[in-house]
Amino acid sequence: MTRLATPLALLLAALAYFVPAAAGGTPVVYAACTTIAILAVMAYGADLILSYLGEVSLGHTIFWAAGGYAAAMLSVGPGWNGWMTAGASVAIALVLACVLGWVTLRTREFVFSLVTYAAAVVAMEVAFNWSFLGGSDGIVGVPPLQLTVLGRGITGSTNAELWPVAWGLLMLTLLFIQRFRQSRLGTSALMVQMNPDLAQALGVDARSVRFLVFVASAPISALAGWLYAYQRAYVGPDMFESYFLVLMLTAIVIVGRRLLLGPLIGTALIIVQQTFFSIGGDGDKIVLGAVLAVILLLWPKGLIGLWELMRVRRAS
Amino acid sequence: MNLAQQIINGLVLGSGYALIAIGWTVLLGAARLVNFAHGQLYMLAAFLAWAAMQQFGVDYYVAVPIAVLALGLLGVVLQGVMLPLVMKQNLTSLMIVTLGFGYVFQGGAARVFGGDPQRLISPLQAESIRYGDIWFTLQDVVTLAGTLLLFGFLWLVMNRTRLGALVRSVAEDPKLAQLFGINAARVYIGVFVFECAAVALGAGLVAPRSPILTSMGFDEVILTFVVVVLGGIGSVGGSLLAGFGLGMFTALFGALVSPAYTTAAAFLLLLIVLVTRPGGLAARR
Repeated sequence: MTRLATPLALLLAALAYFVPAAAGGTPVVYAACTTIAILAVMAYGADLILSYLGEVSLGHTIFWAAGGYAAAMLSVGPGWNGWMTAGASVAIALVLACVLGWVTLRTREFVFSLVTYAAAVVAMEVAFNWSFLGGSDGIVGVPPLQLTVLGRGITGSTNAELWPVAWGLLMLTLLFIQRFRQSRLGTSALMVQMNPDLAQALGVDARSVRFLVFVASAPISALAGWLYAYQRAYVGPDMFESYFLVLMLTAIVIVGRRLLLGPLIGTALIIVQQTFFSIGGDGDKIVLGAVLAVILLLWPKGLIGLWELMRVRRAS
Repeated sequence: MNLAQQIINGLVLGSGYALIAIGWTVLLGAARLVNFAHGQLYMLAAFLAWAAMQQFGVDYYVAVPIAVLALGLLGVVLQGVMLPLVMKQNLTSLMIVTLGFGYVFQGGAARVFGGDPQRLISPLQAESIRYGDIWFTLQDVVTLAGTLLLFGFLWLVMNRTRLGALVRSVAEDPKLAQLFGINAARVYIGVFVFECAAVALGAGLVAPRSPILTSMGFDEVILTFVVVVLGGIGSVGGSLLAGFGLGMFTALFGALVSPAYTTAAAFLLLLIVLVTRPGGLAARR
């Protein structure tokens, strides 16, 4: 059963491709599903840090915004196509992650969180004030996504057209996370988190593991930002808003850490609430914040912890 | 540029930073708990004082103590719910929980107090003092004096009383402290209440300087981050020094270089210090 769990999870995610069509195929449904896929990918970037390093990165909005800004600026200015802007997003995120990873190399726990948060605030202030990045107005008029896949041109001017791209990106992310979990780096990261002394005794260099995981996580969030820029046709300093930060963390912890589909299901729950059962912008904030706090206070392992608890009770 | 005036500005700004940061410093030192709702608590206190003055017509001098009291009570409730996690020292989860609380406060305050900018009006703000070409308000004087008094009092409590010894022993090793019969849970609650009350006092004294918004949250107190870390985690004297140092830096940087990039510059300073001295300026190496 457990050996089948991963292929089953990936199969489920693959079948999600048909969800918007099955749910009626209206523009609202396509918009919600595309948004879920994009924000879930964003959350997977932070998930790599929270689940496998056990640290709380509050700086992943930087990579998310960097991807968005790269896509917007390079498609508006020099008119690059989707592949080129994606490559640029990844490259910029890698450079930024190397810098931030190096700065935070010796920090742990709350100092790590504080510094990554501080870096995000600096980045937002720069984006807000620097006219090169569009300043407080951001960059408007991002053209529709242009991609050539296997000789076929894809234009993403509506959410229905963007959905296959968003789904594809999500699947790639899941496969990457799955590979990471089985890789040497992934297992070393877990060991460093669970038992640093043992890791050191086995010759694992904790610092380089932390650095590599941090750097590997950045392009994931950046690619989500890249697609988000095309979906909204606009990027601005609002990509640094705490909404995205709280959403990432909630999506990760709501179902349970270290679960392959956890962040995806979490994001889906949140976006479905905000799209179809919204109680106003401020009300949704209360819901999102309260869900985050209550889950961690009552079942620190997430909803999966609640399920285990009930199973144990029933067994006894 | 008038250097003397900038130094005064730096002192005034610095006392505000130190005052807003102090609760957090103590909390971090004693409970290793980062409260990411700190900014929203500041916002909440400012709006409670504002509402008390607007809705119930009380005086500024009454409204601020009301806000301090209300936040203290809120602190009891919050720490009460977080206690299981605090006792387990599940710090990762706690950080995220406080982030969630902050988000709830922000959404809740926007619903209750509305989205418009408001002004917390202090009668002391109108009393300005001129001395040659130097200018400041009575509010600035009270903030500075209040900060110094609170820090002095706190230093005395932490270093010269049994209560301070309790807090320090729990900070050092909570499990061992409990073995010696110290009620660590009560210490955690007390420290958290102090944080909430101190940030409310800070809001009461500092918020009249500029318009208040329910969305201001963390951005408004973000610089206290720098104070807490630069001063050295949990160091009372360190954060006072760091507060004034940062105040000077912001005042001079804003006047000499660029006001728009002041926060960014302050954080750059923090990053440089962290790379070279990860324990903060007060670290003994």
